[in-house]
Amino acid sequence: MMLEGSRETMDPEIYDQMYNDMRKQLGLDRSIPYQYISWMGNVLQGNFGFSSVYKQPVKEVIKAPMKNTVIMNIVSLVFVFAITIPLGIATAVRKGSTFDSATQVLTIIGYSLPGFIIAILFIFVFAVKLRLFPISGVSSPGASYTGIKYLLDRAYYLVLPVTAMVFSSLAGIVRYVRATMVETLTMDYIRTARAKGLREKVVIYSHAFRNALIPFMTILISWFLSIFSGSVVFENIFLYPGMGRVMINSLMQQDFMVVLAMQLFYIILSLAGYLLMDLAYVLVDPRVKLA
Amino acid sequence: MSDNNKKKSIYGTSFKESLRKMFGLAPKKELSLFEEEQMQSPFRTIVNNFLSKRLAIVGMVIFAFIFLFCFVGSRIFPLDKNYQDATQQNIRPASNFMKVPKDMQGNALQVDAGSTFGAGIDKQGNLYTWGTLTEKLKRTPAGIGKVVQVDCGLDHILVLAENNRIYTWGYDRLNLDKIPEEAQEADIVQIGAGHQVSAALDSSGNIYVWGNENIVDIDPKPYQGTIDKFTFNTTTIIAITKDRQVVSMAKKDTPFNRIPEEVQGRAVDLASTDRVAMALTDDGHIHMWGTYLYGENNIPEGVQGNVKQITAGRSHFTVLLNDGTVRSWGQNNNRQSNAPKLSNIVSVHSNYFQNYAIDSNGKVHTWGLKGYLMGTDQYGRDVFLRLLTGGRITLTIGAVSVIISGILGILIGGFAGYYGGKVDMILMRVAEIVGGLPFLPLAMILSYLIGNKIPETARIFMIMVILGVLSWPGIARLVRAQMLSAREQEFVTAAKALGIKEGKIIFRHILPNVITVALVSLTLSFATSMLTESSLSFLGFGVTEPSPTWGNMLTASISTTVLRDYWWRWVFPALFLSIATICINVVGDALRDAVDPKASDGR
Repeated sequence: MMLEGSRETMDPEIYDQMYNDMRKQLGLDRSIPYQYISWMGNVLQGNFGFSSVYKQPVKEVIKAPMKNTVIMNIVSLVFVFAITIPLGIATAVRKGSTFDSATQVLTIIGYSLPGFIIAILFIFVFAVKLRLFPISGVSSPGASYTGIKYLLDRAYYLVLPVTAMVFSSLAGIVRYVRATMVETLTMDYIRTARAKGLREKVVIYSHAFRNALIPFMTILISWFLSIFSGSVVFENIFLYPGMGRVMINSLMQQDFMVVLAMQLFYIILSLAGYLLMDLAYVLVDPRVKLA
Repeated sequence: MSDNNKKKSIYGTSFKESLRKMFGLAPKKELSLFEEEQMQSPFRTIVNNFLSKRLAIVGMVIFAFIFLFCFVGSRIFPLDKNYQDATQQNIRPASNFMKVPKDMQGNALQVDAGSTFGAGIDKQGNLYTWGTLTEKLKRTPAGIGKVVQVDCGLDHILVLAENNRIYTWGYDRLNLDKIPEEAQEADIVQIGAGHQVSAALDSSGNIYVWGNENIVDIDPKPYQGTIDKFTFNTTTIIAITKDRQVVSMAKKDTPFNRIPEEVQGRAVDLASTDRVAMALTDDGHIHMWGTYLYGENNIPEGVQGNVKQITAGRSHFTVLLNDGTVRSWGQNNNRQSNAPKLSNIVSVHSNYFQNYAIDSNGKVHTWGLKGYLMGTDQYGRDVFLRLLTGGRITLTIGAVSVIISGILGILIGGFAGYYGGKVDMILMRVAEIVGGLPFLPLAMILSYLIGNKIPETARIFMIMVILGVLSWPGIARLVRAQMLSAREQEFVTAAKALGIKEGKIIFRHILPNVITVALVSLTLSFATSMLTESSLSFLGFGVTEPSPTWGNMLTASISTTVLRDYWWRWVFPALFLSIATICINVVGDALRDAVDPKASDGR
């Protein structure tokens, strides 16, 4: 293996020979388009290249972080779904009430705060001052739990990052859901439904909500895509070994094979997201047909 | 309007109005039928709608204040971004560095300044301490009795009591608390405290030094038994011997060893900054040697030949003249060289960035560093100054990137919407591709790849361009949608029929109709831009140190120590960033409602 100082200590001719051999072996002597196409070819065969820092195939390097990131994002997706939709509907239904105004003010503050400030505040309050949750990490260091205990331990470490993530994306979505619901509730068919004497619950949940689903789907899926790249910030603050941290570390250490694979993943994810969005439209609204 | 006036004159003065005049009430403006029915221009409606929202007005005022605060403030208090000071690290916000206790005023004998605090004694020998004291500095030992001399170091205090014993407290590691036995038994005449090191001089000319030898590495042996007076700086001890010679005790060769010949045999007083030493000769002249960085050699007029006493801070000198006035010069970043006009001064005492002058009535006058409004960071940089300049950079980046994305978005959206068909198809697919790219990772990669090859100031422009170029699709889609509906309207058909050029139709006829919506959306994306820039800088991929932005000032707050112990380092930038974005969003929201009341969610 050649080291950084090899250039000074080695015979220049042998050094050049080895240097060129290495370039050839890595394919760096070819033109950039050729390199790109061969990289694409390899990717299609499932070969993402070799990480120069971890000395492992890229696939191995990003396997575990990807799992961690997906877990974190799915968990926060569930919570955001569970909180924003009921809250948005409740504020829309009680439009103009104190509850609604308070939510409006809170949400405007919520979506103006950058994620990392929310995360810092959460760490300060819950980890530093109250000492309720661990500051960072993914599981108790040195512990080898199994089964339910392992899951609980993981969950304990996830609480703070997930809460911060949910909190920072809550506000925008609640506002959106509320706006959509308010608009839907002014529609004629809602008046008709009420005039028929349907119970208010039925009016809201099966007449209004069904019709507001399309915009919901749009915002939720595009939000889900954005948190994947947004979780870079949270992973960095909570030292959570996810893709974002691997991405930052690889960039800093110029491990570009890993960076390329990451970027590819993010783009595939966003393409898949858009496809999913279109499919979801068909699912929630029978009027929409795939051309 | 002239038409309205004519109408009014026909009606003449009404009965009501003459009644009102009789009772001296202000005339109420009667509206004619035409005035009542007069329509507002759309722009007027928007302004009125906007002005009716109190929250938005408050938001706008606060934002304007922050804007002025950053842009004007950073001009008034310019930041030297490469300035650091190891003695001023992580200091909490305070303004009490020179708050001399009332009991001591009018009775003071001697004062000395430490890095962030001061200590003094009055004529009765009572000891006082003030300023930002660490827990250890607050623990003044009991039973000192009357105090004869006091001296402050970086963060320790050294005291000579009347019973000829030395006491020290504050920083106590590196043997700083281990006063040599010989010193305790000797007849001490002078004590001195420096950077983690202390020294004492006895009446027979022997000097005792203890503390961290790695910082001030000296060898006093050659001069033992001859020393009359000594002074500390961060490198060495300089002393005057009994036959008025000046000697430097440094083991290594330092600039302080090059003592000018003309002071030898005549020196009466010594003072030294970190880099420059100064000696006072018996004819009232001062002589300097060392490395000049902050104009230490620009001696003010009227000083030479009249000097009575000299003293020095970290990079400035203060002298007392024979007529009882004082002069200061040298580094002036904390206004430590702005000596006030004083008279009847009997002694001056400077250290670090503080100056104390005691007049003949025992009153203490002070000038220099009072404290830091928002504390300092890990390199001793003033958080307040960095906040001002950081705010300016953050706001500028946000604004410029929004302008870039606005221009791109309006151009692309305008063309796509107006031409439709294939142009629309291609442009909108491009917009979808750019919009679909995951923003943060891509911006990080771009910033890393481009940013490593360019200087640090060019990085700021690079960030603006990256943010602008990646965030136009939203605005383009909006403009396109507006354009699609506007191009079907009759005034466009009319313009086409008149044979006006297409470019002119788009930008002169249609665009003014769609621009308000675009501008409102740009207001909101201004906030988003600022947040993205902050996130990037926070992660270390945006603007990098030493240039400050609100984002990279928060980078250090990942550390728990900073979160817990140095709250001022993250609370202020976080607060300013949050308030600025909240205000922009409130204003943007209100503007959107004002422009399109129907789209407002019914509030």
